[in-house]
Amino acid sequence: MGAAAGPWLLPAGVEEVLPPDARGLEELRRDVVDLFSAWGYELVMPPFLEYLDSLLLGTGPDLDLRTFKVTDQVSGRMLGVRADMTPQVARIDAHRLAREGAPIRLCYAGTVLHARADRVSGARSPVQVGAEIYGHAGVESDIEAIGLMLEMLRSAGFERPHIDVGHLGVFRGLARGAALDDAEQAPLFAALQRKAEAEIDDLLQGVPAPWRERFGHLAGLNGGPETLDEAAGRFAGDPPVPEEVEAALGDLRAISEGFRRLGETVHFDLAELRGYRYHGGVGFAAFVPGHGREIARGGRYDGMTTVDGRPRPATGFSADLRTLYQLGGRRPGRRGGVLAPWPGEADGVDRAVRELRAAGERVVHRLPGQSGGARDLECDRELVRDGDRWVAVAVPVTGDGGHG
Amino acid sequence: MTASAEEGLTIAVAKGRILREAIPLLAAAGIVAFEDPLETRKLILDADVAPGRPPVRLVLLRAQDVPTYLEYGAADAGIAGRDALLEYPGEEWYEPLDLGIARCRLVVAARKDDPAAPSGSIRVATKFERIARRHFASSGVRAEIVKLYGSMELAPHVGLADRIVDLVATGDTLRANGLRPVEHIADVSARLIVNKASMKMKAAAVKELVAALREQVEPSR
Repeated sequence: MGAAAGPWLLPAGVEEVLPPDARGLEELRRDVVDLFSAWGYELVMPPFLEYLDSLLLGTGPDLDLRTFKVTDQVSGRMLGVRADMTPQVARIDAHRLAREGAPIRLCYAGTVLHARADRVSGARSPVQVGAEIYGHAGVESDIEAIGLMLEMLRSAGFERPHIDVGHLGVFRGLARGAALDDAEQAPLFAALQRKAEAEIDDLLQGVPAPWRERFGHLAGLNGGPETLDEAAGRFAGDPPVPEEVEAALGDLRAISEGFRRLGETVHFDLAELRGYRYHGGVGFAAFVPGHGREIARGGRYDGMTTVDGRPRPATGFSADLRTLYQLGGRRPGRRGGVLAPWPGEADGVDRAVRELRAAGERVVHRLPGQSGGARDLECDRELVRDGDRWVAVAVPVTGDGGHG
Repeated sequence: MTASAEEGLTIAVAKGRILREAIPLLAAAGIVAFEDPLETRKLILDADVAPGRPPVRLVLLRAQDVPTYLEYGAADAGIAGRDALLEYPGEEWYEPLDLGIARCRLVVAARKDDPAAPSGSIRVATKFERIARRHFASSGVRAEIVKLYGSMELAPHVGLADRIVDLVATGDTLRANGLRPVEHIADVSARLIVNKASMKMKAAAVKELVAALREQVEPSR
């Protein structure tokens, strides 16, 4: 820092990616998008900049605060740089694609911008990748989303990610059963997010039995599939819990069963009410050892948009590709290459080069007058004349790696 | 950023009064550092645990740093005062237990001979910038915050501030410096906090720790 700091310094939280990591990141991006495509998800490319009201449609104040804003000099309206691509993709589904019939599966990968840097990672421009399913309200689409998220994490190099699933219906149903109004729910919701049991007890002082006990158990209801049976036991008795709670537990059981069949274990946390404000219903996140925060998250957000006046069912997940790359341990693939003479300096090189490239080889021309050799250009072979043919022969590895 | 060995627990403890009062609590829960944390100059201490229990190490920090360690996943659990947690710009952790130790109060204090609350804007000296800002904003008072790192009690006497926001245990320090509490902000005690990922990835070890400490804090439950 100080006087030496040049004008090329980047703003806080904004990063550039250099070789070879840029290549590694791009390889991961392609693999992830290919994986999504193999599951039937169509790639969409929402714009980087939109009218603010359209960008924030159906979302909460969190996203508003995270969105960079500028005034459009053409229309005089406020523009926002996307801070989250999910609402954009939901809008594309609702206004451009939605039709009666088959569900619509969409995926995306792109840079988003946050008004403020994340306090922990310091990042302001993550590369968001994600996949969403629209038009199917059943728990099966949630199972598919979690399954695809798991595959994405495997492809990024995480062997055994920990998947944590919750359901907002449990809290909402209990709150309805106990007749809590919004003002009473908010602090309880916040305390549950922190599993602050002493605080939860205080907040439940005026709540009648058995709702008080039922809420009291929520913070402790987390763990493996047995958690769901434990929950059913805790919620038993009179008066019965609202249908919404039963339905939520039913969804979670279906998820547990679905993954048991695949030989996978997912975990449950009934006090986990995560996500951005637009999520409701099933919510899930992935954790990996040695990292203090979730690395991918998703859930159901029915009704963010409407189609023909009806709330559109929606579920999906997203992650920051840079985080997946940094933590997943994937590194750019090894590559070789062929150093070829400049075409003007040797006959027939053109054709040889074209053939090599068509066969998938990386071929770099030696520019006339350049310094440095094959190794400097990451080439392990050199194109040399053999009679009337051009052949690629291995470049001997010199002691210092070929430099000089 | 790995907190510890796969199954071990790293517990961050705030130094000073909280550490002194936490040692017996941890000991009763079966966690005893191999060296006396109050004597050693080491900041990382391995602890003796019951056979079959996951290894534990204690890291000794300034109270304000405990939430940071938790949030970055550099510690699985932490013991810090509620004041430090309220002052931290985030709450990305679980807070399962009020340990009931290191009790005190966060108050607004003024000079004993101070006339009624000044009208308009007031100047407040404190090291709890966020807490003070939030408190005065919620009561609709325009407050200019002067950040100090200690000896807040001086500020009202030298014209630096109209009020201070500080922790009060017995009130002796306030009295000795000619101040009196005028508003109560919050009751403070030490809390056990847990990193969210640790709670999930090291569920057995963390739940055991919480249960063992709860046993000491609320034997009735």
